[in-house]
Amino acid sequence: MVTRVSSDIMNITALSREEINKRADAPFEFWGPTPEEARKAAVAKTKGLKDKQCTLKKALSTYLRDGINIGIGGFVNTRAPVAIIHEIIRQGAKNLTLSFQSNSICCELLAGAMILEPDHLSIRRIELAWYGYGVIGIAPLLRYLTSKGMVELDDYTNYGMSARFKAGAMGVPFLPTRDHGGSDMELVNRGQMVKCPFTDENVYLVPACHPDLAIIHVPMSDMYGNARIFGALCTCPEIAQAAVNCILTTEQIIPDGNIRSYPNLTEIPYAVVDAVVEQPFGATPGACYGYYWFDMPYFLKFKKICDEFRKTGNKDKLRAYYDEYIFGCETFDDFLEKKPYKLLKDLIKQDGAQPIVKI
Amino acid sequence: MAGYGAFEMIAYTGSGVLEDETIVFVGTGLPIISAMFAQLTHAPNLNMIFEAGSLASILEQGMPLSVGDTRAFRKALYAKGLCNAFELTQRGYADYAFIGGAQIDMYGNINSHFQGGTYGRPVTRFPGSGGAGAMAANCEKTISIMALEKRRFVEKLDFCSSIGFGDGSPDYRRKAGVLGSGPYRVITNQALFGFDPESHRMMLLEVIPGKKPDDIQKMVSFELLISPYLKEMKEPSEDDLRLLREKCDPEGFFLKRKVFE
Repeated sequence: MVTRVSSDIMNITALSREEINKRADAPFEFWGPTPEEARKAAVAKTKGLKDKQCTLKKALSTYLRDGINIGIGGFVNTRAPVAIIHEIIRQGAKNLTLSFQSNSICCELLAGAMILEPDHLSIRRIELAWYGYGVIGIAPLLRYLTSKGMVELDDYTNYGMSARFKAGAMGVPFLPTRDHGGSDMELVNRGQMVKCPFTDENVYLVPACHPDLAIIHVPMSDMYGNARIFGALCTCPEIAQAAVNCILTTEQIIPDGNIRSYPNLTEIPYAVVDAVVEQPFGATPGACYGYYWFDMPYFLKFKKICDEFRKTGNKDKLRAYYDEYIFGCETFDDFLEKKPYKLLKDLIKQDGAQPIVKI
Repeated sequence: MAGYGAFEMIAYTGSGVLEDETIVFVGTGLPIISAMFAQLTHAPNLNMIFEAGSLASILEQGMPLSVGDTRAFRKALYAKGLCNAFELTQRGYADYAFIGGAQIDMYGNINSHFQGGTYGRPVTRFPGSGGAGAMAANCEKTISIMALEKRRFVEKLDFCSSIGFGDGSPDYRRKAGVLGSGPYRVITNQALFGFDPESHRMMLLEVIPGKKPDDIQKMVSFELLISPYLKEMKEPSEDDLRLLREKCDPEGFFLKRKVFE
């Protein structure tokens, strides 16, 4: 028998009784597939090697639906799956749940789409560890949506979200962690403090997170979806394996014979991947280790537009941005067409030719 | 005495706290500069963990702009993902955490979630815990970097994101299920704080030359304890400043607080 316990957080919290009780009294629910549903979906898949290459249009018309949980790969500005986000915005989906580790432009792009066209795309809730721009500051659209009470948030630490995806990837309903307890996250998130049956000590359990759809950008993959990642793995392998379906964009498709030469380098196994889209620069303005560096001026340009909207309430510039760069483009390649060759060349150069295994 | 900026003083003081032969878990910006400076001076065998999954990188490409970026993985000895970095830490292999936040209280608890309004409808929402909540729980010693302002050193946090000593009681952290020993130092540009081992309250250890404990107390909303061994903060020499400016942050991203516009 596992006993529910709590730390002494009540001695220091500034949260109101009403707010604490609202969360304490709510019955637990997974914000997406349950572990059992996720398992059934995996069992139901055909698992032979098949060529999964397709277009982003086709991949998302297959897997994007209203009300799903989308697990966003990458970390802050690293390997952000921007190309997939653009296509999600073009196709539209309502009442989405977003689950991610730490992210910047991906969630801001979705938030901006919701502000402009709420009947076309909307975010209902976000389970996260961190949402911001890093060195260039706070995400203005997050501030806007939260101050208006337009989205529900569920907060964990970075390890908490990683552990939640890892539990999903392991096929277990939760993982114990040594954080969250004693902070206000204990009172507001969907984790639970229990007494450990073996040590008799308090330990914090975080529930598994199974996205309906994982969206991940990788440096290289074969046509079956066996993917390599260089630099930070972030929590991409766990998110891919936890999700019911997974779409990969990859800088390049490499021969499967090459994968078989270095099987130790495969971070995401083909069986968990449903669609593979070759999309060079698929994470820009984010960085992709071994390929290109951040496009910092681009981040600043987009953030400035969002900041202006938050301060003035005027949507004109925001709308003009989406009309030109997202709705005005048929594909991500069309978006890349708008970038000067010199800039792309420079971003490649700034990566500094990181060591990666291509052969 | 050489002229130095507020952030240069913070980075310099932070490096002095770090001992050789340890592992420090760093976030973006000043913590990296402190760690690099320590490596170049008194702690050549200090190594960094970045939460995105690298251990012991060599930052020869310049300052990482986020902890998962390419530069943070340059010439690392180990390059994996967040699970690996945090599990190594949870296991006890990270000696120091460097964290920041919007508010800190007398027991070293820190807020990085929101200010004003309610959790469900905050006036100003911040990015969230990020790695800080896990670092404050699992690194052995927590070092905080804060600007010394009354609105930041508060009586009560709007939200506790990163656990310190909680309510100050001896078993607060144990009951919370966390294993790190907790707050160790708080670094500002005008004062260095530690914590009283008995009461767990914040204690003034060092002040910048020319300031008195009273001046510092005026910048803090709660009552400070004053160390019986109160010292002046050591200031960086010309050589130290040259090293900081030329080797640790040549682009001036953090030390010069170059605002991106």
